[in-house]
Amino acid sequence: MVAAGRSARAERAAKPPRAGRLRANPAPLLLGLVWFVVAFYPVYYMFITSLRTQAGFLSGSLWMPPSNPTLENYAGVIEDGIGLYFLNSAFVTAVSVALIVAVSFLAAYAIARIRSGVARAAFKVFLLGLAIPLQAAIIPIYVLIVHIGLYDTLYGLIPPQVAFGIPLTVLILVNFIRDIPNELYDSMVLDGSGHLRMMWNLVLPLSRPALITVVIYNALQVWNNFLFPLILTQSSNIQTLPLALQQFQGQYGVNVPGLMAAVFLSVLPVMVLYLIARRQLLGGLTAGFGK
Amino acid sequence: MSGRSSGWAASSALLLPAAAFFLAFALGPMAAAVYISFLDWDGVSAPRWIGLGNWAHAFTDSLTLRSLFLTAQVMILSWAIQTPVSLLLGVFLAGYQRYRAVLGAFYFLPLLFSAVAIGLIWSSSMLSADGALNTFLRSVGLGFAAQDWLGDPDLALYAVIAVIAWQFIPFHTLLYQAGARQIPRVLYEAARIDGAGTLQQFFYITLPQLKYTVVTSTVLILTGSLTYFDVIYVMTGGGPGFATRVLPLHMYITAFQNAQIGYGSAIAVILAVAGVALSLFLLRVTGFGRMESQAEGL
Amino acid sequence: MTRDVLTRRDFLRVGGAASLAVVLAGCSFGTGQQRSGGAGGNGATIWDISTGEQQEFIRSMVEEFNSSHDVSVSVQFFQNDPYKNKLRTAMGAGNPPDIFYGWGGGVLKSYVDAGKVHALPESLDTGRFFASVMEGVTFGGKTYGVPIMGTQPVLFYYNREIFQEHGLEPPDTWSGLLDAVRALRREGITPIALAGQNKWTSMMYEEYLVDRIGGPGPFQGVLNGEPDAWSDPAFIRANTMIQELVSMGAFPSNFASLNYDTGQSTQLLYTGEAAMQLMGAWDYQAILTNAPEFIRSGKLGWFAFPRVEGGEGDPKNAVGNLTNFYSISEASEAKEVALTFFEDAVMNEAWVNGLLDIGLVPPVEGIERKLRSQENSDWLTFVYELARQAPHYTLSWDQALPPRAAQALLTNLDRLFLREITPRQFSENMNEAMGL
Repeated sequence: MVAAGRSARAERAAKPPRAGRLRANPAPLLLGLVWFVVAFYPVYYMFITSLRTQAGFLSGSLWMPPSNPTLENYAGVIEDGIGLYFLNSAFVTAVSVALIVAVSFLAAYAIARIRSGVARAAFKVFLLGLAIPLQAAIIPIYVLIVHIGLYDTLYGLIPPQVAFGIPLTVLILVNFIRDIPNELYDSMVLDGSGHLRMMWNLVLPLSRPALITVVIYNALQVWNNFLFPLILTQSSNIQTLPLALQQFQGQYGVNVPGLMAAVFLSVLPVMVLYLIARRQLLGGLTAGFGK
Repeated sequence: MSGRSSGWAASSALLLPAAAFFLAFALGPMAAAVYISFLDWDGVSAPRWIGLGNWAHAFTDSLTLRSLFLTAQVMILSWAIQTPVSLLLGVFLAGYQRYRAVLGAFYFLPLLFSAVAIGLIWSSSMLSADGALNTFLRSVGLGFAAQDWLGDPDLALYAVIAVIAWQFIPFHTLLYQAGARQIPRVLYEAARIDGAGTLQQFFYITLPQLKYTVVTSTVLILTGSLTYFDVIYVMTGGGPGFATRVLPLHMYITAFQNAQIGYGSAIAVILAVAGVALSLFLLRVTGFGRMESQAEGL
Repeated sequence: MTRDVLTRRDFLRVGGAASLAVVLAGCSFGTGQQRSGGAGGNGATIWDISTGEQQEFIRSMVEEFNSSHDVSVSVQFFQNDPYKNKLRTAMGAGNPPDIFYGWGGGVLKSYVDAGKVHALPESLDTGRFFASVMEGVTFGGKTYGVPIMGTQPVLFYYNREIFQEHGLEPPDTWSGLLDAVRALRREGITPIALAGQNKWTSMMYEEYLVDRIGGPGPFQGVLNGEPDAWSDPAFIRANTMIQELVSMGAFPSNFASLNYDTGQSTQLLYTGEAAMQLMGAWDYQAILTNAPEFIRSGKLGWFAFPRVEGGEGDPKNAVGNLTNFYSISEASEAKEVALTFFEDAVMNEAWVNGLLDIGLVPPVEGIERKLRSQENSDWLTFVYELARQAPHYTLSWDQALPPRAAQALLTNLDRLFLREITPRQFSENMNEAMGL
């Protein structure tokens, strides 16, 4: 049997090898290719459109890149200050993610390790937060942010992002920390370590995979967030990237190539990251759902 | 001894930062939304207490009722489209053939794009009057089928649902891929020995084994569909007319464009209640004790 | 070893981010322009929505002012509809611009009532302006704005070439208009361009029809808060006529998704795809900017909204924007600068001449001779006389009404044009929305 030759992967569960059957059953490959077109063509089209002039777009080919590509759209977008929006997004993302992971780690340790009544109650409260849609709380958040004087600042974007990132992050970290064998703790307890030392020297290093996961997950969520900047800011100099993109739409109107250049620049960083660290990125995205 | 006697002091201290953020900027606001829903407020003048006024209006306002109906449509159609496609793709990608891995790399790319980017790509270059779809139809002689996809009130909702499906199928494909890869190979071996064909293997082994993933994915789609905002806002703004004004959009437009913050808050509460109720219901029905998140829609 | 390094790196990352935030808070990074005081911290900020030549005009006015004074102003431009929301949100958040663009009427009044607008001092002499125009910004005996743009009644623009080709004359009765619509449809030309997405564009039909049918009385009843005011037969009849117009196919089939702010409907007019558009006088600038040939070659024509046979309203009544105003926010910390700007840059001859140069009509008494000597004198004189001779000049309803009612009006108009509600339902909805 063909399977015999794949004993190295025998333990890994996979669909039955169809090396022989593949030739007789092209359906999966065909459907796979169809979806490939569906999934990737819009991205491709966006890119080649960004290289056309406005007139060129209307008469341009659907499949081939333009014969004389131009970078004027990119120049225009950069002149319009897209660099500042990158900076704004980066700032909000960095600070928010740092805070989310930091406070969630502390909380997760308390919940998974100390397991007091307070911790158990807090865990339930955080889980409740998983069911709250962002949009439902945005009006009072707006009122609150205005009240504390953080309206129309980047700093005002951070607390709500942190708040909504906590539930899932705590959940993931709790699940992970729970799996750390008790013996490791016990040996440190015998040394007289308090909680802080145990967190710092034991749990933190061991949690590295989970930490990477939550950092990636939250970074993507914050980086791509649109609702908070939309409602909590008004000045153009503190727009984050998604908001700036949407404003470009109004500004560029029928200048589709210009708009596509802006979109492409905005997704470029994640695409580069994707090329470098695809597996971590995808792992971070599904953040524990798959289990 | 694992420090349990110093339990509540230490844990309180450790929980404090997270709890503070969460209560102040998530749970607190959610409760405040209920309070604001009892006000008549335009955001500029002083608010006025009107008790259940906004609520009475919500249940008789045909716009709100229509918004609920639209949201339900989006929910059901999203599930109906995203589940089969993601399942098939996930199973397809579960195989370790090299070409499948290559294809997979392309499939998952859009997962990282912001909803705004996706909305703009589709509304500006794909679905616009001179966009790729219409140009393609015209070039193969199907010019009559070229439509104003996002501008026609009868088509806009379906166009939006399609784009949302495009946005989230990669995510669910990942889930199904992980799920399919966990199916023990011995099951397939046994089936093959018994003479089962590919299709039979799929229906009698793959599908049943994926039950947990289907449930997870379903919960995420259904609860997530309550929060689809970014993509729709960017593509149609709730229009044309009211054709795509699902609940989150209706809330935003009411509160921030129509200056009815109190009424908008009532809609927001309806949204939250629907989300929680749906989550609880699904958990009960599927017997799963873990609350999944609505992060899909964020 | 790796573990230690990693944990410290994590800590540094958190600490680093936190200290960066502290440092940056000291500079103005991360703080919206509004709060850091606009032009270098000691100037006034202006929010405006002008486009094309009007925008140029404002910019040069600002530059002129800045170079001749040691204080300065800076101006930011927005799109029309987003601007209205932005301003309201900014007012509500206590973060408004020092000077803001507006239309007067009920919307401004709602800001005045909430204490958000600064009353202009008596020393500011506004005597030169049309009294009817200043009514829009006078509440409780105090003035809350100065005109910044020309007066902009709503009228029909039409493509002379298309009309001539098809033997049509600008109609002066409603049935004449319907005939023209039918004739144009037969020829496959979109009769009237309409940007349905903006809703206030649809509102203009309502405003004129109600006025032509029943005079200014019915809407005044609404403004006065009379019970059941919206059920006046004039509204019902006007709405029926509107739906008739829609059913006849007078508008583009995709009108619901056309947006005026991006110039889509006006584009239809000057590219010859549509024969007419009902729009305010400001659109002349848009055409001048985007398709000057269309005007220069004499293809652009205009006529006043036709009279309705059997209607009570005076066919010379006008509807539109009295003018646009600049007002000062009460929350502003640069009121002196703003007032100086008003006195020196806005209310002078240079302003009058500047407006005339771009084809706008300043709402100022006694400038007929100046108008006649201008390049677009036939247009300017038409608009001036239309505004000046109107026995009654109604402010656009979405500005005349308080904001909540205005939004309800726009929403219901949208549904009316989409034929989702009947005229009777429209009246019922509006009565309910305003508690009448």
